[in-house]
Amino acid sequence: MSVGYEPKILGFLCNWCSYAGADLAGVSRFEYPPNARVIRVMCSGRVDPVHILEGFKSGADGVLVTGCHPGDCHYVSGNFSTERRVEIMKKVVNKIGIDPERIRLEWVSASEGRKYAELVKEYTDSIRKLGPFPLNEISDLLDAAIGAFGSERVRWLMNKQLEEIEPEKAENVIITSIEREIERYQLFQILEKGNSTVSEMAKQTNLPSDVIVQHLIALMKQGTAAITAEAEHEYIYTLSR
Amino acid sequence: MKDEPRVGVFVCHCGTNIGGVVDVPEVVEYAKTLPYVVYADRNLYTCSEEGLNNIRDTIKEYNLNRVVVASCTPRTHEPLFRVACQEGGLNPYLFEMANIREHCSWVHHDSKEATEKAKDIVRMAVARSLWLEPQEEPELEIKDSSLVIGGGISGLVAAISLADQGFKVYLVEKEAELGGLVRQLYKLYPTLEDTSEILNPHIEEAKNHRNIEVHTSTTIKDIEGYVGNFHVTAIKNKEQIEFDVGTIIVATGAWNYHPPEGNFQYGVLDGVMTQLELEELLKEGKLERPEIIVMIQCVGSRVGEIWSYELVGLFHSQATRLLSKILGARGSEEGWAYCSKICCMNAIKNAILIKEQFPESEVTILYQDLRTYKEYEDFYRRARKLEVRFLKYIYEIPPEISEAPGNKLRVSFYDPFAGEEMSIICDKVALSTPLIPSKDGILLAKKLKIPLDQNGFLMEAHVKLRPIDTQIEGIFLAGTAAGPKDISESIVSAKAAAARASILMGNKVIKTEALTAVVNQDLCIGCGLCEELCPYGAHIVKDGKSTVIEALCKGCGVCVVACPQKAISAKHYTDDQILAAVKNAFTEQLT
Ligand SMILES: Cc1cc2nc3c(=O)[nH]c(=O)nc-3n(C[C@H](O)[C@H](O)[C@H](O)COP(=O)(O)OP(=O)(O)OC[C@H]3O[C@@H](n4cnc5c(N)ncnc54)[C@H](O)[C@@H]3O)c2cc1C
Ligand code: SF4
Ligand code: SF4
Ligand code: SF4
Ligand code: FES
Repeated sequence: MSVGYEPKILGFLCNWCSYAGADLAGVSRFEYPPNARVIRVMCSGRVDPVHILEGFKSGADGVLVTGCHPGDCHYVSGNFSTERRVEIMKKVVNKIGIDPERIRLEWVSASEGRKYAELVKEYTDSIRKLGPFPLNEISDLLDAAIGAFGSERVRWLMNKQLEEIEPEKAENVIITSIEREIERYQLFQILEKGNSTVSEMAKQTNLPSDVIVQHLIALMKQGTAAITAEAEHEYIYTLSR
Repeated sequence: MKDEPRVGVFVCHCGTNIGGVVDVPEVVEYAKTLPYVVYADRNLYTCSEEGLNNIRDTIKEYNLNRVVVASCTPRTHEPLFRVACQEGGLNPYLFEMANIREHCSWVHHDSKEATEKAKDIVRMAVARSLWLEPQEEPELEIKDSSLVIGGGISGLVAAISLADQGFKVYLVEKEAELGGLVRQLYKLYPTLEDTSEILNPHIEEAKNHRNIEVHTSTTIKDIEGYVGNFHVTAIKNKEQIEFDVGTIIVATGAWNYHPPEGNFQYGVLDGVMTQLELEELLKEGKLERPEIIVMIQCVGSRVGEIWSYELVGLFHSQATRLLSKILGARGSEEGWAYCSKICCMNAIKNAILIKEQFPESEVTILYQDLRTYKEYEDFYRRARKLEVRFLKYIYEIPPEISEAPGNKLRVSFYDPFAGEEMSIICDKVALSTPLIPSKDGILLAKKLKIPLDQNGFLMEAHVKLRPIDTQIEGIFLAGTAAGPKDISESIVSAKAAAARASILMGNKVIKTEALTAVVNQDLCIGCGLCEELCPYGAHIVKDGKSTVIEALCKGCGVCVVACPQKAISAKHYTDDQILAAVKNAFTEQLT
């Protein structure tokens, strides 16, 4: 193998199909690259978006989620929840500078040992082409995303069946709402470090001032932030707890 | 972490299976450097008696409160090692496995790379083990009584079968009479015996059985509880009755499809009827002379879309859609995608009955494909011998029916074998329509949280491996409620359902899943999302708080990820446990 970069892959495998498929790859002695570290969960539906993002924070360059084929989930419909969550997540992370290919959902059955081996190989190659995860460049954004995906609003949006709205419209609403939530967490994190002003926050986040003001109003309504002083025609915002 | 962890790590050579690729001593040395690891050593075969003894003894000697075995896959060996831990005095859930064989030594050839990966896997397992907590497998009592819903042939057979084994049975039928759809029939294929010969003995036996309580004109109002302990509320002649049962058999049957008005001139031209209506005429002796009769197969079946997999098992939107489909004149022009499998034999049956009564009658069966499976081929030959005509039409050009002079009907169709348009002038047209999901079945499914299959019938837990069972523990399916069946198949399924229920009740107790979800009531705001998502109906939201019925929860964790308040955690798969492994996947971040 050529010297240089070896991608780090984090895998989440459901116990009933995918982990069994990976076991079969072993029993069949299908060789594949040693780049993946896997975590067994009972169902792919147990994989939390926060776990995936924490994976990047812990050094993963790509996260592979595998579950039973549609209709085969040991718990009937767990993998549909997973599919929906991962689809939404990929679209959101794309907007904050994470290549959506860094999150991959695949179906691997207990009999698909060969597929598992080939998947790890192919995914490792694919991530190798993308290069290392830009952890230093976007670590603040990543933290904000971890906060947002753990938040009440986003968890509701990711999991509630919005039957009244057409699926495509619903997805757009969900994705923009999550983006807004991430922005809010960015501001929250800045304020956590100390008091700040709109212009300072704009500089740090590259967000337009009017967007920041909107978020601050929302945070103030929640009672999370407050104006505590004024300096050079600008208010100083503080986290109130 | 409540107690200070004392982790013991046992690394396995598995002969040369692991040791031949992975540098086991190096992994042991590495494990010793990990925080909280107080013991690490290797075994040639950890699963041998010697290896297991070593685990038992070491737990005591080193006062271990966590055990990690780095060897093969937990899917095969975890139970064995858990028992060893238990025998060593450790709760079996304080055990964790690191799979360095199937996921490492068997799939990587480079010894250095494999050893590095094995170390990572061990580190992840140790990290996770620090967060493990003891778990118990609760036992649950099963009441020795059963509720059978639906008094058709399936419900009758299931009830009698359970009652004969000594179980108390409540048989609930919404109509005033027992017997279901079969009661409307005249004679039965393939034997052509009278329905009463089959049905009446069953009805009498059920009514007189000392272990069966028959409740006719009774509907189910509510079913609460879970396997072993269902509380049933029913309405009988406007009065409420209540009882408790351990198991439930759903035998609510199916409906016979009626085409919407105008479809094949049904409801428009006199003389166009369904096969069931024709059979009723035969039963009442209203066919008085030889007639010319045309039967059209697959009316309302094997048409329309086959729903995509996404709908399977996903209950809410599906049930709504199905209900509207069924309530529109018991179906719509859309029709049903599956083959109902009784209609071919039923048409042949009626054709034979007519020909045997009036040999001068002319009976033609227009089919797309004729499906006379298993021994029914004989039945088909019998019809041919009686000179019943079988002609083919094609799906794309369905037969057309119009009025003909002299109060007659004209059936025009394209015969693909002759390659030309044909028409038959006849007295009657009988439409062979399918068995379809019943409204009662769907509403009951909703109440019991049983998912529907792609056709709208109640779904079995697994098509191949777990027919008869439902996704809900303690509830079983009999007869056409689960899909089209003839009587003998319905009876087979009814006996199977009774057997499945009696296994549970005979055992008196079951061990339930230890790895369930738990709700932190302080955090829960009662939003109901968990209740909506759980495939097993294990979350019950009451008075603004959700509770998990442990007997129903299978521990998938779907609700855990969804809960907006993070009020739910999954035993043995908590966020802390999973994140400990995530954080240690590539670097040491033990806390
Ligand atoms: C036209 C036609 C002809 C047929 N001919 C033959 C034949 O010749 N030979 C053969 O082998 N098979 C034949 N069949 C198939 C046969 O009818 C079925 O196999 C049989 O009816 C299945 O019995 P079941 O008990 O499962 O359902 P059903 O007979 O449908 O009985 C279900 C019962 O449940 C009751 N019920 C429903 N919901 C509730 C509720 N919520 N609470 C309480 N009670 C409820 C209903 O009132 C009904 O009494 C024919 C079917 C059709 C449509
Ligand atoms: S415990 Fe597993 S890895 Fe060790 S010897 Fe037994 S089979 Fe092999
Ligand atoms: S999803 Fe969470 S907050 Fe909502 S009812 Fe369930 S446990 Fe309570
Ligand atoms: S873990 Fe799964 S089965 Fe258990 S309550 Fe949650 S969704 Fe239902
Ligand atoms: S159990 Fe495999 S995806 Fe649900």
